[in-house]
Order: sequence, then C-alpha cells, then structure tokens
Amino acid sequence: MSRISKQDRIINKNIKKSRIGKRFTAKLFFEYFFTYFALLAIAFIFAFPVLWLVLASFSESGSMYTFKGFFPSSYSVETFRKLFTDTEMYNYPRWFGNTLIIAVGSSLLGSLLVILTAYVMSRFRFGARKGIMKTTMILGMFPSFMAMTAVYLLMTQFGMINNLFGLILIYSSGAPMGYLTQKGFFDTISNSMYEAARIDGASNFKVFIKITLPIAMPMIVYTLITSFTWPWSDFILPKLLLKNKDLYTVAVGLMSLGDTEFARFAAGSVFIAVPIIVLYFGLVKYMVNGLTAGAVKE
Amino acid sequence: MENTEVYRGKTPLIKRIAGWFINLPIRIGAFFKRVGLWFAKRPSAIAAKLREIKSSPKPVKASMCIMGLGQLMQKQIVKGILFLLMFGGYVTYMAVTGGEAMYGFFSLGVVPPNPWLGIKGDNSVIMMLLGTLAFIITGFFIAVHLANIRDARRTYEYVSRGNPTPDFRKSLASMFDKYFYVTALVLPIIGVFVFNILPIIFMVFLAFTDYSGNVVLSGSLVSWIGFGNFAQLFSTGLMGSTFFKILGWNVLWAVMSTALNYFGGLAIALLLNKKIVKGKKIWRAFPVLAFAVPGFITLLAFKFMFSNQGPINYYIEQFGGTGKLFFGIDSKWSARIIGWLVNAWLSVPTSMLLATGILANLNPDLYEAARIDGASAWVQFKKITLPFVIFATTPVLIGQFMGNFNNFGVFYFLRGGIICDGYFLASDTDLLINWLYSLSIDQQYYSFGAAISIIIFIIASVISLTVYVHSPSYSKEDMYR
Amino acid sequence: MKGLRKIIALTVCGVLTAPLAACNGGGMRGKYAEQSLEALYDKFEGDLERGTSERPITLHVLENDTAKSSGYLKVLLDGFNAKYKDYNIVAIDANQDQYSNLADDGPYGYGPDVLYQANDMLMKYCDGKHITPLPIGKLDAYAQLPELAKSTYTYKYKNAEYFMGVGLNIQAGMLYYRKDLLPENWQDEWDDNNNGVPDMVEDMRKLYRWSKIRNSNNSSEYGFMQSFDDPYFSCGYLFTYGAYVFGNDNTNTKDIGFDNDNARLGAGIILQLANVMNSGCVDNSITVARESEFASGAYFAVPDTQDMYGTLNSELVAVYRKKGMSSSEARAAAEENIVAVPMPDLPVSGDLTETEGQTFKSISMGGINGYAISSYTKYPRASLAFLNYATSYEMVLKRNEYLGIAPARRDCNKDCTVQADVAHSLYSMVEAGRISIMPSVYGVERIWTPLTTAFTDIATDPYRNSNKKYTRSDGKCNYAALDALLKSVNRNIYDSIYTIK
Repeated sequence: MSRISKQDRIINKNIKKSRIGKRFTAKLFFEYFFTYFALLAIAFIFAFPVLWLVLASFSESGSMYTFKGFFPSSYSVETFRKLFTDTEMYNYPRWFGNTLIIAVGSSLLGSLLVILTAYVMSRFRFGARKGIMKTTMILGMFPSFMAMTAVYLLMTQFGMINNLFGLILIYSSGAPMGYLTQKGFFDTISNSMYEAARIDGASNFKVFIKITLPIAMPMIVYTLITSFTWPWSDFILPKLLLKNKDLYTVAVGLMSLGDTEFARFAAGSVFIAVPIIVLYFGLVKYMVNGLTAGAVKE
Repeated sequence: MENTEVYRGKTPLIKRIAGWFINLPIRIGAFFKRVGLWFAKRPSAIAAKLREIKSSPKPVKASMCIMGLGQLMQKQIVKGILFLLMFGGYVTYMAVTGGEAMYGFFSLGVVPPNPWLGIKGDNSVIMMLLGTLAFIITGFFIAVHLANIRDARRTYEYVSRGNPTPDFRKSLASMFDKYFYVTALVLPIIGVFVFNILPIIFMVFLAFTDYSGNVVLSGSLVSWIGFGNFAQLFSTGLMGSTFFKILGWNVLWAVMSTALNYFGGLAIALLLNKKIVKGKKIWRAFPVLAFAVPGFITLLAFKFMFSNQGPINYYIEQFGGTGKLFFGIDSKWSARIIGWLVNAWLSVPTSMLLATGILANLNPDLYEAARIDGASAWVQFKKITLPFVIFATTPVLIGQFMGNFNNFGVFYFLRGGIICDGYFLASDTDLLINWLYSLSIDQQYYSFGAAISIIIFIIASVISLTVYVHSPSYSKEDMYR
Repeated sequence: MKGLRKIIALTVCGVLTAPLAACNGGGMRGKYAEQSLEALYDKFEGDLERGTSERPITLHVLENDTAKSSGYLKVLLDGFNAKYKDYNIVAIDANQDQYSNLADDGPYGYGPDVLYQANDMLMKYCDGKHITPLPIGKLDAYAQLPELAKSTYTYKYKNAEYFMGVGLNIQAGMLYYRKDLLPENWQDEWDDNNNGVPDMVEDMRKLYRWSKIRNSNNSSEYGFMQSFDDPYFSCGYLFTYGAYVFGNDNTNTKDIGFDNDNARLGAGIILQLANVMNSGCVDNSITVARESEFASGAYFAVPDTQDMYGTLNSELVAVYRKKGMSSSEARAAAEENIVAVPMPDLPVSGDLTETEGQTFKSISMGGINGYAISSYTKYPRASLAFLNYATSYEMVLKRNEYLGIAPARRDCNKDCTVQADVAHSLYSMVEAGRISIMPSVYGVERIWTPLTTAFTDIATDPYRNSNKKYTRSDGKCNYAALDALLKSVNRNIYDSIYTIK
C-alpha cells in the first residue's frame, strides 16, 4: 500500500474541511439526523440488557417473576450485602478469589506460551513449521466435549482434581493453539531489524528479549486480556474438575444458584463483569490493534 | 492498490472448493498409488538402509544400539550421559508401566471391578488413556533416538575432519541459539500434546468402543467394537435423517450468523467512521459493554426476557396483544430468529472492533479519487471498502464461521431440553454440537458422541482447510515483508 | 501438504488397527470367575475404627442444600462428633454438589463416604456396586421402616436380595393452598360433604371451577397454578388413570406404559387445567415464581414438595410483615394459612366441567430420600455408625423440626411436630398406594426429556391460535390425538434407551 506523506494528509484534511463547511443543506441535516439516530439505537440495544442486569441486582425479591416488566417491584441493596456476607451456602467472595487466581495464573502462563509460539512460527523457517500450522488449525476444529472426558480421566491420574493449579495448567496449555493473531502481528515486523541485531552478534534468545518483547508490548497486553477472559467466564471445565464447593469459580457458583436466587445471580454477574469492563475500557486501544494485527496483511 | 488486484486475480472461492471435491477421487487414487509404490520399493530400500548401517563408523553404531554410547565414545561425556539418562528413563518406564500400558490398550482390561469386595479391577478407559500415552512417549523416544544417531554421525564427521571434539557447553549454547525454535516450542508443544492432542486421539479411539454411561454406572469393562457406531449413524432411519436435517440447519445457521455478525460489525464501524460523528470513543463503548458480561450470563438474561411470562410478553400484554411463546415447541422460526439476533448481540462487538482497525488502514486517497470520478457512496463501499475488508479478514472470517458452526451456547441456554417430531433426541433449533452434547453428555452415549464428533470434525476441517490453504494470507504470508 | 498427508496416514493407521485390535482381553474375560459375595458383610464386623488425635478418621458426608442452609447439618455433625470423640472420628460436610454422581467420582477417590440422596439416584449406583449393601441386623432403624421404604431400597442381584439404603423421609408432590384466600362463605358454598375441608382442595373439578371464578374476578389472580413441563408433578395425572413408567414393578425397561389404560384422560386433565392458567404453565415460569406468587396471593394453590415448605413459609411471613404484622403474628399466621393436602381427586370420566360423577383418588410421583454408604469408603464401620446416628429417632425428629420433612420411620412419623398433618397424610398415602415411586433402573434418566416435551406440547395447545393439536373445535379434548402423543412418548423413550447400544 502506498503511503502518503504527512503533508499530503494535512492538505487532504483541509480540502475536506472546507467542503463540509460549505453549506449546511437539508441533505446534511438528514445525514446528521439518521447517523445519530442509528448511534442512539445501537447504544440502547447494547447497553440495555447490561443495565437491566444491574437493575435486577437491586431487586428486593429474589424471584424474577415479581418484576413488573423490566422493573423490580421494590428495590434494596440487601442482595449485595448478602452476596458478600451470607456465605454459608454460596461463598461468593471465595469463588471470586478462586476465579481471580485461575484467571491471572492462566493469563500469565498462557500469554508467555502464546507469544513464544507465535514469535517462533513467524520468525523462523523449519521443517515441521507448515505441519504444525496445519495441525493446530485442524485441532481447533474438534468439538471438545468428548475430549473433556479424557481431560477428566487425565487429571484423576495426575491427582489434580480439586486443584486450582490443574485448571491453570489446562487453560495455559490450550492457549498456544490460538497463536494465529499474535503471529499475524509478528509478521508485520520487518525482518531487517532482527537481521541487524543478529549481525551485531546477538543470540536469538537475546533478540527475543531485547527487541521482540518491547516491540510486541501492545500485542502482549492484548494476549494477557484475552487469555484472562476465557478462564474468567468458563464454567464447563471448572465444573468438571472442581468438586469441592469452596473451590468453585464464580461461573460455576452462579450456575449452581437456585431458581429463587435471581437477584443474587444478577448481583454476582454484575461483579464478575466489573474487572472485564475495567480491563476493556482501559485497554480498548490494544484490543483494536491486536485484533487488527491478527487479520490485516498490509 | 496491489492488494485488491491480487484478490481479484484469484479464482473465486466456491470454484476452488468445488475443484477440491472434483479432484478428490484422483487424489485418493494417487494416494493409494503412492502407498503401493512405497511397499514395492521396500525390499531395495531396506537393503540400502542395512548397507548404510553396516558401513557406519563404530560410535554411530554404538549410538544406534544404546542412546548416548556413541557420544561417550567420542568423549562427549555430559551429552552422552544426558542421552543415556533419557534412554535409561525410557527403558525403566517401559519395564515398569509402559509395556503393560501398551498391552492394556489392546485388552482394555480383564478383571471387572467389584467395589463391594474392595476389588479395584481394571478401568478400561484409564487403560486406553495410559496406553495412548505410552505410544506417544514411544514416538517421542524414537524421534530423540534418531536425533541421537544423527548427532553421533555429525560429531564423528566433524572430528574426523581434524577438528577438536566440540565442547558440550559451547555446543549447548550454539544449539540453543541455532535451534532456538526447538527450545522455545518445547513447552508449548508438550502442553498441547498432553492436554489437547492426547484427549483428541483418545476421543478418536473412543469412537470404536462401546463406552457409555451404562458402562460407567455398572462399572463394567469397555470393548472394541470397530465401526459399529458409524454404521448406526448412517443406517437409514430416524438417526440418519436427524443427522442430515440438523446438518442442513447447521450450515444455514453458520452462514447466516457469520454474515450477520460480520456485516453488522462492519456497519457499526462504518457508522462510527463517519466524519460527522463526534465522541467516537463513547459511542464505541456501548458495544464493548456486551463483551464484558460473560456469555452464559447474557444468554440466561435473554432467555428470561423472552420467556412466556417474561418482560417482553408483559409489555405485549400491557399494550393489548396476546403473549407469544418465543421458544415454545411450535416456535421453530421465532426461536431461530431470536437465536440469530442474540448471537449477533454477542459477536457484533468483536467484528466492530476488528473492522474499526482495518478501516483505519484503508488509504483515504482511494475514496478521494472515487469521489472525483463521481462514484456514489454505495459504489465506493462496493468497490473499495468491501473488497479490501474481506481480503484482509479471510482467516478471521473462517474462524468466525467455525465458531458459529460449533456454537453450543446459544440454543443450549435459550431452548434446551425439548425434542421435536421427526428428530432423534433433538429439537429443530439444535445444531450438531447441541445434538452431540445431548447424546454424549445428557444421554451418556460417549462412544457414539465421539463418532459424531469425528464426522463434524471432517466436515468442518474440509471446508475451512480448503478455504485457508487457498487464501492469500496462507500462500502469500511472506509477500509483504 | 506433506505434513497433512502424514496426519491422514496416521489417522488411517489408527482407524485400521482399532478393529484389528479388537481382542478385548484376549479371551481372558470369559475365563474370569467372579469372587463369591459371602465375605460381603465382613467389613462391618469388629470394633469401630479408631483415629488418633493428630490424625482423626474423617468421614465426608454428602447432604442436600436445604439441610445445610437450615442449619440441620451442623447440628447433625456436631452431635455425631461429640458422641464419637473418644474414637477420634470426625464427620465433615463433603461440600459437593448435592446431585454429584458417585459413579463418576467414587472410583477415583473423590466421592463422599456417606451420602444422602433421592432413591432413584442412590439405586442407580447399585449395578456398578458403587454403594455397598448394608447389614440389616446392624441397622437400628430397620424395624421401624414401612414396607415401601424397604422394597424401594432392595436390590436384586444374582438371585439374592441386598438392602442398599435407609429411607429417611417421604417426598411427594402435594397441593399447598392458602386458607386465607378461600371465599368467606366457603363453609356454606364449597363444602358439600360437610367434612370441614374445602371442596376445591378435595376435588379437581371444584378446583377447576374455583380457578375460573378467581381469574374472572381479577385477571391477575389465579386459582391452581402449575408448570406442566416438570414431569415430577405432571406424571401423577397419567398414573391416576393407569399409566406406569416401566413394566414388571418398574424393572422392565422394554415395557413402557405411559399410554396404559385410560392415561389419555390424564393428559386431558392437563390440557383442561392449562386452559385456566397463563402461558407460564408451558415453560418453567410458574415453578420459578410459585413461592413468591403464592405468598403475594396471586396463586391460590400450587403443587410443591415438602422440602420447599420453608421457602413458602418465609416468603409469606415477609408479605405479612409488610402488611404491618409483628414478626410473631406473621409467623403464626403463615403457619395457620399454608395448608398441604394430597392432590385432589380426579373424575373417572376425565371431564373437569361435569358436576356429578365418580372420582379417583389421585396418585402422585414421589420418592424416599435416604442414606447410603459408598463402597469406596475406607471406614465402613465408622460410616455405618454415622448412618445409624443420622437415622436415629432423635435425629429424624430434629430433621423434621428444622426442615419440615415427613419422616419415613413409623415412630418418628407418629411423634413429629412440624407439618405433622402432612407427614401423617403422606404416610397414609404410602400405605394406600397413592405414591408412585420413581424407578431406579438404568434408563430412568431417559424418560425426562420425552415427557417434558409431551407435557409442554399439551400445555401449549390453549395458546395455539389456529390448528390446535389436542382440542376439538367444540372445545373438548381430542383424546385420540392425546393417545397418539402418549404412544410417541413411549416410542421416544424406547428409542432413546435402545436405538444405540
């Protein structure tokens, strides 16, 4: 793709500006009107279910059928208090802690493995490379329910049932399978930079540490976020491997709530969403860059 | 602009997929021919190999017999001991459990457990798993052994050319550097092998057994039954017709929802990209909210919203209408449509972020030129934006298609637990993956579920591998460096 | 493509070797003779196991959630631990999902030692010998158990009978109604037989009429409400008219009898009742809402089980408190106004609109929850001691006090204090054969989805605008179509058990 100089861009911008400023026609008015109408509609569609969950978490009654339409018949903060203090049956703070341990652990370990894999697959050419690429592609297509049986049996043999570390191990071992996005990013980095360092006598390991990692910072952040969110909201694997209720993750715990605990379910859901919202909004720039890097070949 | 040129110059995707299938018989023929040739060549090849072994120098021969021996003979003490340790480890493993595990893989146990008397008995599936593991470990061992022979030969040749024996530490350092990719990939590959490949291989084997919930409950032994499960599936009758009915819907679902999510995301990104939109960050934040709440929670929330006495029906009734059973037993199409929409709600944000990033890379000059030529906004979209975006995102598109093809959550949460007329234990909104779940997890037909998994896998992989191998991003991955 | 070819070749090899390798124990399996079961009860002989103060013997006890939330489990464990302190035996909460499957966890050492579950769950473990037969002579509660509790927990294996678990409480769907929502003149208008019990909770025809009246007075109020998608409560209508689950005392899974006799009339009852409810009867809306809507007064009567009494009660107390009653007043009023009776009688003709005619006593699906001991426990004698303690007279009465359950022990049933009427009437229902116990054979888990589907289908009919499937144009039930539906239920269940082997 031909790159335009900065100057050209400024000129272009000025031309456009002058055009927009020319006349405020009826046509332009309609364009404004429909654009903002569409934006408002989109904002509503996406925000509403989430806001509704927040609303539901303030319901006084546990059952959702006492609602009048979308609105609880009476409000209270009791559910939130109960969520954190009434831990005899549903130990939410404990679940939250467990989930945090698993998600952070898997995120760190998994990201390391993914970055390593992606870097190697992008930077080096070796015999098994295309084979590995195809194999991972194929493996990703297997419906994994049946494999779950094997994972359970395997973990009983390793003595890792009721073990948070076992889950971290599984999540981070699976992470390198999704290396394609990260590889796409490394593909965009010019080889000449590495070659220069190699000529200076740096080893491959050194190149990885000193050059690759700093360049890949946005990608690493992206990887950390995405490998955090999967364990954070997964419930199939923890349900399978964690028998002890004190070791439950939030997702498993919420699914185990009774029918009449809808308010608690909503409150628990609101809390589980908070860390992810914070992460996404803080790092949405990286998200866009990361997603794009994996897809675009410039 | 060369990108779009490349894209247009290629044969259309459909044609290429069709071509793959048309050529399939020829390919299969060629494959068998090669196998035949391979066997035909064996006698002479084996003879050549034997000659090669015979003429090998002593240290190489020693390494062939016992790993590391050749290295020791060539005074590479540390390396030799390391290889020797590995050799010892493998032999011990085989002697202690490995050999038994391999035998167990075939026998699947003899003594049924009897917990009443405290008799542990044989656990067929564990035996199968450990047997598979033993075969994989043996495969690894063979690979290491071959590497050991190669290494012994290389060292021999190096020394015989008059060079000093390589220092282990030095050779380790150079190995580490030269084979950085090996070192770096060891951990990921082991992890993927143990937790991804081993379970999948196990599952493939499972499809040839009679393992089911009944076996688990009754604590009996599993047997190998060959192709019985596959024969059942393709036998005429309810089972086969259910399979094809679901497959048809599954493809429709995947195509439609991929398109919906993709163009939905693109539309929002284009909207946000408009120059007249102020506060882009804030507008973009709303779809991102959908990201933040875990999928199962939003799915349950939607299920409740559309339930018979839920809020939507409440308002319909408030305004004088009669409530609708959105996910009822007769509501095939309303459930399907809501499924598409809910899935779009969950997936459009990702597509939007993706499209936003790609649009940022689009050269604004093109639009300027098009505008001067007098092209309308629609023509600009059709001729410039769309080809570029589709070109740039083919692999992602394939990934999304696969994700939707195997989208378990939507109908599991929205409309689980009913079966429809003319379906074998499935409803008319179930995808193959849901059917698989209900057969293998709910009804506990594990081996049958494994057989279906294999078939889903074959269908899915043929489609996506063909597309992927022929996509520019695979064949031209070095082009833009 | 080379790598791919390799993978394909490997897969083909694997596929080809699998059937070849089908030697299945090399013919050794047939030669294997099973050990005699004479020594089966030996593990219960001798003194109690003893721990040390540093390493006490730990028993993991699986209880259900309500026992835990009501505080009963703590009382039970504390009592046992105090009694066996000298032996250094400590019983603790297994802290697992109450429905967790011993067959999955037990063989790998993650299951509980003693478990409390419903009889269909427990008896499912028998074929795999996951729970151990109990020595009848050492069970303190055995003599007090009714015949039904004994037969439910008897397992037949190779011409011998084994006793697998001690039934603790009887559970069955009963009708819970609000006394304070009865019409003021019910004694004059709604008590034709002058027995002091309102007719609408004795006779389904009256309840049907009363539901209609209540709903026409105020469209947000209903009479009898039930989600028909739950087979546990819906099957009773079919059973009353002669349906059964499996033939030969629920053991022959090839003989499925949901269409037996006049079962279609029972299906018709569901259809007629669905007409006087709202669309919540089609999905689980009413099940989810029943406790709160019952308390708010929107529902007059709901079917429920005894373990949910606590929730019904506390919801109603909360409503009364809001109306300004003091806490003790509210509790007394709730106690007074929540009444449970057996499900009302059903007309022989199956027509709820008739005013005269013979009736049947209705039959409910039910179960007997009980304790069993895992075969994988390391401490069989300590586990037996715990089982005896948990099923003792005192503890069963305590359980009744905390949970309102209906004890299965004869003496406890007589002497229990909380919800005593319910306990007594359940007992008489057991003796009159009005409780149909859920089957315990392998295959019972396959009945639920086809049944749910069929009941949903029937209940949907009032909400179909045109082409109603089960209602004739004159508004009566189309019994031929209902019969066909029940036949398809049988077929679906049969298929799901036998199509794949």
